[in-house]
Amino acid sequence: MSSSKRASTMPAAPKPPTSLSSTLVIADNAALTGTHLITLGSNTVVHPRTKLSSAFAPIKIGSSCIISERSAIGLQSAPAEDEKDGVVFENGVIVEVGAVVEAKRIGEGSVIEVNAKIGKGVVIGKHCKIGSMCEVADGEVIPDFTVIYSNGLRRIDASGIENLKLKMVGRQVDVLRKLIPTNLAKFQ
Amino acid sequence: MASFTPYTYFQCPCTDTLIASLPFGAEAPPPESENDEDERTFDPRAPRANYSLYPLEHLLYCEDCHQIRCPRCVLDEIVTWYCPNCLFEVPSSTVKSEGNRCTRSCFQCPICISPLSVSSVEAPPEGLGAEYTSQSGPYVLNCSFCNWSSKEIGIVLEKPNSVFQQLSKIRNKGQPAANAKEARKDSVARTLDISTQVIMEEGGDEDAEEVVLNPETQFANLKSFYLTQLAETSPTGALGFTGDYGYGSPGALSRIMGLYTGVSFSDKKSKSKTGTMREACDALEGFQASRPSSEKAISRLRKEGWHSTASAEQMAEQTHDAQFVSELWPVANMLRMKRSKRCKTCRHILSKPESKISTTKFRIRLVALNYIPSISIKPLQPPSSSNPAGLLTPLNPTQFVLTFKNPLFDGVKVSIATPASTPGRFSSRVTVLCPQFEVGANTDVWDEALREEGGRGGDREKRRTKAEASEGQHQAEAGKVWERGRNWVSVVVEVVPTSLRIEGPAFLRSEAQQKDDGPLREDEDVLEIPVFVRVEWETVAQDESAGLAAKEKEVKEKRELAYWCVLGIGRIAQT
Repeated sequence: MSSSKRASTMPAAPKPPTSLSSTLVIADNAALTGTHLITLGSNTVVHPRTKLSSAFAPIKIGSSCIISERSAIGLQSAPAEDEKDGVVFENGVIVEVGAVVEAKRIGEGSVIEVNAKIGKGVVIGKHCKIGSMCEVADGEVIPDFTVIYSNGLRRIDASGIENLKLKMVGRQVDVLRKLIPTNLAKFQ
Repeated sequence: MASFTPYTYFQCPCTDTLIASLPFGAEAPPPESENDEDERTFDPRAPRANYSLYPLEHLLYCEDCHQIRCPRCVLDEIVTWYCPNCLFEVPSSTVKSEGNRCTRSCFQCPICISPLSVSSVEAPPEGLGAEYTSQSGPYVLNCSFCNWSSKEIGIVLEKPNSVFQQLSKIRNKGQPAANAKEARKDSVARTLDISTQVIMEEGGDEDAEEVVLNPETQFANLKSFYLTQLAETSPTGALGFTGDYGYGSPGALSRIMGLYTGVSFSDKKSKSKTGTMREACDALEGFQASRPSSEKAISRLRKEGWHSTASAEQMAEQTHDAQFVSELWPVANMLRMKRSKRCKTCRHILSKPESKISTTKFRIRLVALNYIPSISIKPLQPPSSSNPAGLLTPLNPTQFVLTFKNPLFDGVKVSIATPASTPGRFSSRVTVLCPQFEVGANTDVWDEALREEGGRGGDREKRRTKAEASEGQHQAEAGKVWERGRNWVSVVVEVVPTSLRIEGPAFLRSEAQQKDDGPLREDEDVLEIPVFVRVEWETVAQDESAGLAAKEKEVKEKRELAYWCVLGIGRIAQT
């Protein structure tokens, strides 16, 4: 990547300690910063220009997750006593472009859509969907299968196709694996 | 305070004249006391003015009446109906029989109104050659926005197309959707059945009570019942008019004639003979006793909670009653239509869209923008940094540049007139420095450039350069055009905004203020100037009756158009 921009004279920030799976797909210009441990599970995809910051608390992301461009994962300010565990994603979580996630825990198969904001200490259940531009306030607990859409309307999804959706996430990861050149060594 | 954008509204003359809705063949009434009309100043704040002022873009122009036409003085005609989702044209007969909903596969989500898509419940096939196999198995309607799925209310479709038919089939519990005609036939047949049964059994009414009609059948039954009632009670008198809407009968013909001529053909005697109509009394006639199921609903509400009830917006979208979210059905998309517009006075078409759905072009579109000069307003001095909102300082003369741009291919003579002071409680003084001027034709841009090759900077072109402007030549001269271009002219208008204060000695107040000294009302601080614009130009006569001879000679015809405009200049600062 030859860039005409002038390189910063500051010494590069120290790399955060990481524990990366060997099947992880992580783009060259993803940004992993901070001082706490960042754990990324198997078959997870991290897009370019994703910001994972473990400056205040660790980040643990499960397998088959997709973290999209310009999304910011990790606490942005000092945590409260019960938020010391940092951000935990279960398997099959999708975070779309520009979303800001500071949640305590995000359940399996949940989708955080474009530019959504998840506050600190939030616990999101399994197979939830936080619609684009929706916000979840600090400390909220969202039960399983909740769909937040429009300007904060909520409903419980009872369509029962969550297994199908998890399968589709797997396929999406397969496609992204072909599209995104990975540079695992840079972050280890 | 939010910044103010200057605006220009044009007044459609249809509010002043009575010819707007004349019936065919009627003579135009003589103009009532023309002098009165001319002398009156248009008041943009009058309550009536609200309904006659439009931005230029909203107006049409009738080439035959040579007049501005607003949305109120045109007639709308439907060209086609179409579904906005699948862009299929729907014939008018289908609209009449099936209603104004798409009868193909276009549905909107009952929860959040976004469009639904059909998808398979089965997992997509995997393995070798999976791309070549088509998806199979039961299908559901899915909302991609709120994740609603028709599976939630137990609807699973067999095939991915013609969803409307499938849904109505499910709704009628297996029976194909009967259209109104068949249903009527059916019910008539059943009525005959029942009546013979009743005669035979004398009171077999227990099973009749059991019948629960679905809304479509109930409507069809009720409709057929009332139609027969109408037929029975209305006199089948001399004209043979049976109350049925059969246009073949001579009675109906006379009724139609009556509609046009305004003369009632039916004699008064037969009207008095009308019998009394009765109401529907059993299910076959569409009668459905309301079964208050509140007990059930309350217990359900207790069990499932508030979230299981449908919101008012969701219920409004539904075609049938629904109390709970689980009773909400997908809503078929509403059709839209393309409309053509006709002049109310001369019935000429002013706007006609292409009847093909996928094109957004127009065959005919006579918009006023192409016929009358547009007016734009800008302050002569740019707003200073101390006054960024551009508020007008009371009693401080401020100059504005009005730019008239001519869309016609002929040069026009424009004369503008304003009242010396604006109407209303707070009247500001207005002076147009150059009330009469000529605007060049809207010729090809290159014509001018090529012509000016020889004599650079002809006296017509008088554009102020930046240097000139910066030298402080901001002084506008009376009677002279400020700037002039190929097809535009700008003139300067000077306003002296009034003070918005009402206090003070009575002799300082205007008459209107003495009458009404209430507090400042909404938007009363906006300085609006009524302007009477009169446009004159000469054009080649388009009169077809003049024939070939006239065409050869290219007879020039004088045209004239006059109308009121309102210029919204700015807000007056409140001190």
